[in-house]
Amino acid sequence: MQKLKTLALTSATALLFTLGAPAIAYDGTNCKSDGNCWEAKPGFPEKIKGSKFDPKHSEAELNKQDTAMEAMEKRNAERAKNFKETGKWSY
Amino acid sequence: MRENTLNRLVKVGTAVLAGSVIGLGGMSAAVANDKLVELQKDEANWVMQGKNYSANHYSTSKQINKKNVKDLSAAWTFSTGLLNGHEGAPLVVGDMMYIHTPFPNNTFAVNLNDPGKIVWEHKPKQDPAARAVACCDVVNRGLAYWPGDSKTPAMIVKSQLDGHVVALNAETGEVHWKVENGDISVGQTQTQAPFVAKDLVIQGSSGAELGVRGYVTAFDIHTGEMAWRWYATGPDSEIGLKDSFNNANPHYGQKNLGTQTWEDDAWKIGGGTNWGWYAYDPDLEMFYYGSGNPAPWNETMRPGDNKWTMTIWGRDINTGLAEFGYQKTPHDEWDYAGVNVMMLSEQKDKNGKMRKLLTHPDRNGIIYTLDRETGDLVSADKMDDTANWVKKVDLETGLPIRDPEFSTRMGHRSRDICPSAMGFHNQGMDSYDPERQLFYLGLNHLCMDWEPFMLPYRAGQFFVGANVWSYPGPKGDRQNGIGSGQVKAYNAITGEFAWEKMEKFSVWGGTMATAGGLVFYGTLDGFIKARDADTGELLWKFKLPSGAIGHPMTYTHKGTQYVAINYGVGGWPAVGLVFDLNDPSAGLGAVGAFKELARNTQMGGGVMVFSLDGKSPYNDLSIGEYEM
Repeated sequence: MQKLKTLALTSATALLFTLGAPAIAYDGTNCKSDGNCWEAKPGFPEKIKGSKFDPKHSEAELNKQDTAMEAMEKRNAERAKNFKETGKWSY
Repeated sequence: MRENTLNRLVKVGTAVLAGSVIGLGGMSAAVANDKLVELQKDEANWVMQGKNYSANHYSTSKQINKKNVKDLSAAWTFSTGLLNGHEGAPLVVGDMMYIHTPFPNNTFAVNLNDPGKIVWEHKPKQDPAARAVACCDVVNRGLAYWPGDSKTPAMIVKSQLDGHVVALNAETGEVHWKVENGDISVGQTQTQAPFVAKDLVIQGSSGAELGVRGYVTAFDIHTGEMAWRWYATGPDSEIGLKDSFNNANPHYGQKNLGTQTWEDDAWKIGGGTNWGWYAYDPDLEMFYYGSGNPAPWNETMRPGDNKWTMTIWGRDINTGLAEFGYQKTPHDEWDYAGVNVMMLSEQKDKNGKMRKLLTHPDRNGIIYTLDRETGDLVSADKMDDTANWVKKVDLETGLPIRDPEFSTRMGHRSRDICPSAMGFHNQGMDSYDPERQLFYLGLNHLCMDWEPFMLPYRAGQFFVGANVWSYPGPKGDRQNGIGSGQVKAYNAITGEFAWEKMEKFSVWGGTMATAGGLVFYGTLDGFIKARDADTGELLWKFKLPSGAIGHPMTYTHKGTQYVAINYGVGGWPAVGLVFDLNDPSAGLGAVGAFKELARNTQMGGGVMVFSLDGKSPYNDLSIGEYEM
């Protein structure tokens, strides 16, 4: 019995090593591809969507910065155009 | 957006083409930044926050030296009329000193021949609501200077907390242009000093603690027109990558990682703001900076490497496109915002090969040295051996080997993580002595406990999601709240420290080195100090009115060498004192770490100028006197 257990353990360990030794915990060195080495920590999901950690972001909120940036770029472009035409900066 | 980007690409392409046509015509464009390079070499001036494009904060002046520094005395002073943290340092160009302040970001020009006289002032009107979205005091890191040409007079360029970048006539203080570069209603502010190279003003971004996706923008100094704008996360077309991006080091990662290393659209509120410093190599026409931390602080809410936050960038100044990017802290779990100073040097590596380098002491406790042409990793050493989130940085793979024991995650309070979120190094602008080949690093010795919590994102509101308790590290005195600073002299090739000294509080404001064999820096408890560049021995100090969080600067006016420094404590370490907070986890965990500060200093705001024996224009008593 003891022998069987040992055998099972040994082969499990061997299997672990042949599979490229997944780390016991995320240490940043097992990469899916160049520049992409993130792993879920033990007990944490690969994807958080639908999990208890789902941030449930609102798409409308996520897009507000982009909208603000575009509006500023447009106003700035008008100011610069006017400046080039008149030689005077009008905010 | 797509159309915008396309338009921009076309414009960039045209600019590049135009540039090469001019080049072929043999008309080496006599650009204004050549003038700026010349001005940098003259010790009469201090024309940019980093002193020069190498950002080495090194002066060849030696009138003040090891032998006579004990005779350094106050020559004159100036109060800015404001409190809160006074970061950065004044600029000096010719006869003028230009002084900036925290919010509302006033600017003063004073005449060095009669510094009691304010030549001009610029006092912006800003929405006071801007204060509410500043994470870490209403600081500002300073002014930039553009030397003028036949079309446009010399300019002082400033940033405002409310998101504006403003170009002022350097002689008169009149507004030349004023552009919007941030919207406080979505949490964007500006604290960074603008940076001038060629005829461009480069400005970064702030607000990763409010989920702001980082961006860097260039404006034409003549017209205020936006030349280019690139982001830290998202599609490659918005990050701005050259076709050859990271070809020299493909293992750093190359294409599509600004979205692939995030789940779904989390990159849209992904942080990566750059509010630190720049360096520039005029020969390579590349500039360098670091992008900040991903948002939120709660790592569990953003699986993935979160590229390209926490990245050292080498970008083409003309197009802004990136030649290389090295991510120091993949999937940040500690707010090690990667924005710190970049110092350029030319040194022989371990194989005896002469290299053009950049050296960068990061928040995460590692000092990175990269080849600044290729991005090759040359060295990555711990600035203090107590850093424990990382076992080491593997120079072959470029990966930090994490110690899972000091990771952070939901449902867990991590303890004794070093460095703290405040970093072993923060925004201080340090120095490099090219003779001694030593970097003089002003360090924090701070560790922390950290526990994340879930929270929603609402544009314009804080998006942090972690409780933090910072405190002095193992080499300090945690019980008594002191011993949280260090000053070290570091060789980037050997990785050795020539000397190491402890400080009572974190050395937040950076350092300045001189050919007089001196290293100057200010302290949070209100001293300016000078140490021996070779031994670290303390040679001089003076008690300032308040703590210092900016760097010293030096200039020579009419044959006299002066050393100047801002005083006025604030910034992240002093938020407890500034905003009257007591909970040790308040102020994003800073309050507990610096509870002793208020027994050493109070708020202030001004500039103190020193010289040997306090020699000043007012030694001539008639200067500035009323005359009938």
